Amino acid sequence: MSSKKVRGNPGLRRGVGSKTTDLDEIMEDPPAGDWLTLRSDQLLEWIDNAVYNVAETTGMREVVNRVTRPIFNYGQRFSPHPLHFGIMCCAIEMGQASAPDHDIDRLGLVYRSSPRQCDVLIVNGPVCEKLRPKLKTLYEQMPEPKWVIAMGECAISGGPYWDSYSVVAGADTFIPVDVYIPGCPVRPEALMHGFLTLQKKIREKEPGMFLRR
Amino acid sequence: MAEMWISMGPQHPMTHGLWTLKVKVDGETITDADPELGYLHRSVEKMGERRKYFMNTTLTDRLCYASSTTWTHNYVLTVEELMNVEVPERAKYIRTIMLELQRLASHLMWAGAYMPDLGHITGALYFWRDRELFLNLLEVPSGSRLLYNYIRIGGVKRDLPDGFVEKTERVFKLFEKRLDEYADLFENSKIFRMRTEDVGNFTAAQAQNLGITGPNMRGCGTKFDLRKNDPYEIYEEIDWAIQTREAGPGYSDCFSRYMVRIDEMKESIRIIRDCFKKMPKGPTLASAIPVRAQGEAFRRTEDSRGEALMYVVGDGTDRPYRWKIKSPMFTTISACPHYLKGYKLADIPAIMGSIDICIGETDK
Amino acid sequence: MEIKELMQELSALKGVSNASMIRDNVVKLDIDKNSSKEFFTKLRDDFGFEHCSLITAIDNQPEFELVYHFTSVNKSVTVGSTDMSVMMEAHVFLERDTPTIESISDLWGGANWHEREAFDLMGIYFVGHPDLRRVLLPEGFAGHPLRKDYVYEIHEEEW
Repeated sequence: MSSKKVRGNPGLRRGVGSKTTDLDEIMEDPPAGDWLTLRSDQLLEWIDNAVYNVAETTGMREVVNRVTRPIFNYGQRFSPHPLHFGIMCCAIEMGQASAPDHDIDRLGLVYRSSPRQCDVLIVNGPVCEKLRPKLKTLYEQMPEPKWVIAMGECAISGGPYWDSYSVVAGADTFIPVDVYIPGCPVRPEALMHGFLTLQKKIREKEPGMFLRR
Repeated sequence: MAEMWISMGPQHPMTHGLWTLKVKVDGETITDADPELGYLHRSVEKMGERRKYFMNTTLTDRLCYASSTTWTHNYVLTVEELMNVEVPERAKYIRTIMLELQRLASHLMWAGAYMPDLGHITGALYFWRDRELFLNLLEVPSGSRLLYNYIRIGGVKRDLPDGFVEKTERVFKLFEKRLDEYADLFENSKIFRMRTEDVGNFTAAQAQNLGITGPNMRGCGTKFDLRKNDPYEIYEEIDWAIQTREAGPGYSDCFSRYMVRIDEMKESIRIIRDCFKKMPKGPTLASAIPVRAQGEAFRRTEDSRGEALMYVVGDGTDRPYRWKIKSPMFTTISACPHYLKGYKLADIPAIMGSIDICIGETDK
Repeated sequence: MEIKELMQELSALKGVSNASMIRDNVVKLDIDKNSSKEFFTKLRDDFGFEHCSLITAIDNQPEFELVYHFTSVNKSVTVGSTDMSVMMEAHVFLERDTPTIESISDLWGGANWHEREAFDLMGIYFVGHPDLRRVLLPEGFAGHPLRKDYVYEIHEEEW
């Protein structure tokens, strides 16, 4: 037994070394056959697949995930970027939560006005038939990973507008909801608790995001 | 230069709610506008027909989230007229106090929302800090922060608790000092005035014809306030005056509309102080309140945003046959092509912010 | 100005019937559908009602009823010690088969969207309206929901 210390995981090193020779098997050719004719989304998809396949087969994916998981998770947990989007009464309380008395910003919240820069969608009111496609678009415009908070009775189930002809029975009928905050309207303290619940959920449920499928 | 349409909303920082503003621009200049509503249409009028008269106050509370008491009060006043309910004297005073506190909270909400439109985020925090004071005051008798359901058919839910007068007075003293600070910060600030003066003008005649009412109309110098011109509760007996401003002879701009609301806040404080002085003792809820109603009635009140009118038709059952809500913002938004035309694209947040939009009441 | 004089002057106009006072500053009257435009033009030009407060459509089954509320901003009557602004409530009855009436949006700019709303929710057609589209409900919505015969599904949860 050699006294020389082996750095890293020997099994893994062997794994990487042995697989490099048959790289052709793992990586596919670009879908259209020619690099120049690829559209940008096709190219991205191809790169995505190629890197994922290599990382998966060689075991690198798990390694990178384990290293980056706590870092990404920490970042996601402590700086949620909710969308600056108000529907009804709860939107006022959402604004009031940012006011000096409650100061929800100390949880790391940064409200952004563009869905492209956000990862939390707060549905803070009744969703009407006319709004539903727009809200769905907003949700789809947000980059992954993303979470949805249903704030208040209207967003949970329709609330006081349960028998209306134009209000959808809850936001979870068309987008996945992560945290429900009851109340009519939700108090700023409850919103704060909702964000803490979301933090807990991110820590438990969401692993690192490098090469995630 | 080629003209093009730009769409803002329903998710846009300018909208203060859910609506879409499509503007036609020629370069930077607005040549036409087309507002679109309906993203928050909850069908309150139809739902009211399925509920009993006294149950509808939960819906009216949620009509306008920034000013819920005024709308509940309007509904209750209409139904009282329909049912011929006599309200005790003390309840009328308590209602007036609550209405004015709500007006203060609503105007502060507006001011807080208006400041980020002009790029002054600190202003929002200042005004919202003060709004919290009034929310706490409103919470004392009603038990809720935002939607109170405090005014009931025939009076109010319960009497004012002990120490309410002293608590209110303490808040007023603090708030008046802060209003003076804000005068230095905003009215005397050159940047604020450059942003708001001579922008979004409309004349008094235009406002009357287009249905622009309330503080926006008083910003044109028109002395018209339904608390004086069609008095309800005890506004007749209270010592106060209509606040008007004008940017020039008979027209308003964003700055005059801002100043009207600041003046109204000061006047509301005066009204509440006078109410406390004159308030009699007695019951706060009428003893006999009917359940059924027959006939039709309408009442109009001065909401924080303008003329609110409700028209209720009863058919002898315990539910309204038809219940119609007139929202001041509905017509004010419809008139927006008139006061947006000719201004620059970057003025839209300043102009639309200054008219105090609340989509909850608009879309009903 | 006396409110009774105003009431008499208004009731002398063409197509007006059943004029009455419902409060000290409010006149209520019925108008014939065919002479409504003529009446409203006079109302604005001669009587100084410069603000259209509200247009309500009621489904009275079978017929429809339109209720107009007008406010005079500058005109007032003295009741007791206060100057109260004058209001007018006008009722127009429409048949169910032909719910059409002439638009007043050229007289009062504020009436424009009230008429659109009445069209949207109650299905009243305003002839001569510049832009009669749905205002609150999405384009393509079937029916007029505030009519009494409108049927819709209510998602009632079972307990």
